[in-house]
Amino acid sequence: MNTSSSCQSPLDWRTLVAYWLGELDPDSEARTEEHYLGCAQCSRRLEELASLAQGIRALTRASGVNAVISEAFVQRLVEHGLQVREYRVPLNGSVNCTVAPEDDFVVSRLEAPLAGVTRLDLVYVYPEGAGEMRYEDIPFAAASGGVVVSTPIDTVLALPTITLQMRLLAVDNGSERVIGEYTFNHTPSEQAKD
Amino acid sequence: MPVADPITPTDDAVLARRVAQASPETDHEAEAELCRRFAPRVRLYGLRHLRDEAAAADLMQQVILMTLERLRAGALREPERLASFVFGMCRMVVLDLRRGTARRESLLETYGDALLPVETPQPDPDHERLAHCLERLPERERTILMMSFYDDMPAEALARELSLSPANVRVIRHRGLERLRGCVTGGDS
Repeated sequence: MNTSSSCQSPLDWRTLVAYWLGELDPDSEARTEEHYLGCAQCSRRLEELASLAQGIRALTRASGVNAVISEAFVQRLVEHGLQVREYRVPLNGSVNCTVAPEDDFVVSRLEAPLAGVTRLDLVYVYPEGAGEMRYEDIPFAAASGGVVVSTPIDTVLALPTITLQMRLLAVDNGSERVIGEYTFNHTPSEQAKD
Repeated sequence: MPVADPITPTDDAVLARRVAQASPETDHEAEAELCRRFAPRVRLYGLRHLRDEAAAADLMQQVILMTLERLRAGALREPERLASFVFGMCRMVVLDLRRGTARRESLLETYGDALLPVETPQPDPDHERLAHCLERLPERERTILMMSFYDDMPAEALARELSLSPANVRVIRHRGLERLRGCVTGGDS
């Protein structure tokens, strides 16, 4: 091993990711570690991955981006001590909702029959003709009976009294059908108003 | 004291020899260079195994101190195998840390003055850019990256949560990471 900037047998990105996430068998893991500990180039690439992973983790923890997540993931957030405000919205139903400054996450469970669905799209519908935002091919587990949507907490905290909608669409061979529509009657919390 | 070999960018063995040959004196230049090279890598090892920045910093300090200690004592017979030597130290200290039997205090007392401040890379501060790039990813890629790296979850476990195959998770994860890297580094804004 050396510290030259050009490595004769660089570790590829997939190997580094698998290593970082604990997917390698013990022998491969040991070989990977011995290599990057002696290699400037590969340790720099691993540093890049570690930095990216740290950034994703921080953004996720801060509820910084919209995301469709799993039920199990919500449980992990709760287990890690995060304050998660949850709303369950029935098929074609509505919910009165708010968020408070002490909340870390706000998640919406959209109940939906998903058996046989091959592709699912999620549409945010903004009020008064302000347009729509469509998220195509969202991940889902058909057996779960719905999807869980996490919305950035700062975005929701900044909302005035407003009615928003989400729509789930099944897409198949170029045609689509509405699976369900979900209405959120949002009111700012008293603390958020202060 | 022998004349020091010049440090070239390609030779860790020179560093190891210089530290050993200088004993009982101290080759400050060689030891500082050894710290500069190896400390960030040992920190990565620590982050991977301990998943904690403070614990990784602790590991880094202990491994570098122990490596210097062994090198000064002439315990490394094959200087060309310095990386393997450091790897062995890393494994041993992680086990020690997990058992709570760290030798940190006594090592610091003996060798603390040899340990120069080492710059370790800091997390990318441009979270705004990263958030922008993450938002632009296709939904599946974003979900899988967030759920993978929030608590370092392997593909097998994530696949069960999302009703996908592990191979599918790896493919989506790889695609997402490549796209994210491209966006963050400015190639794809």
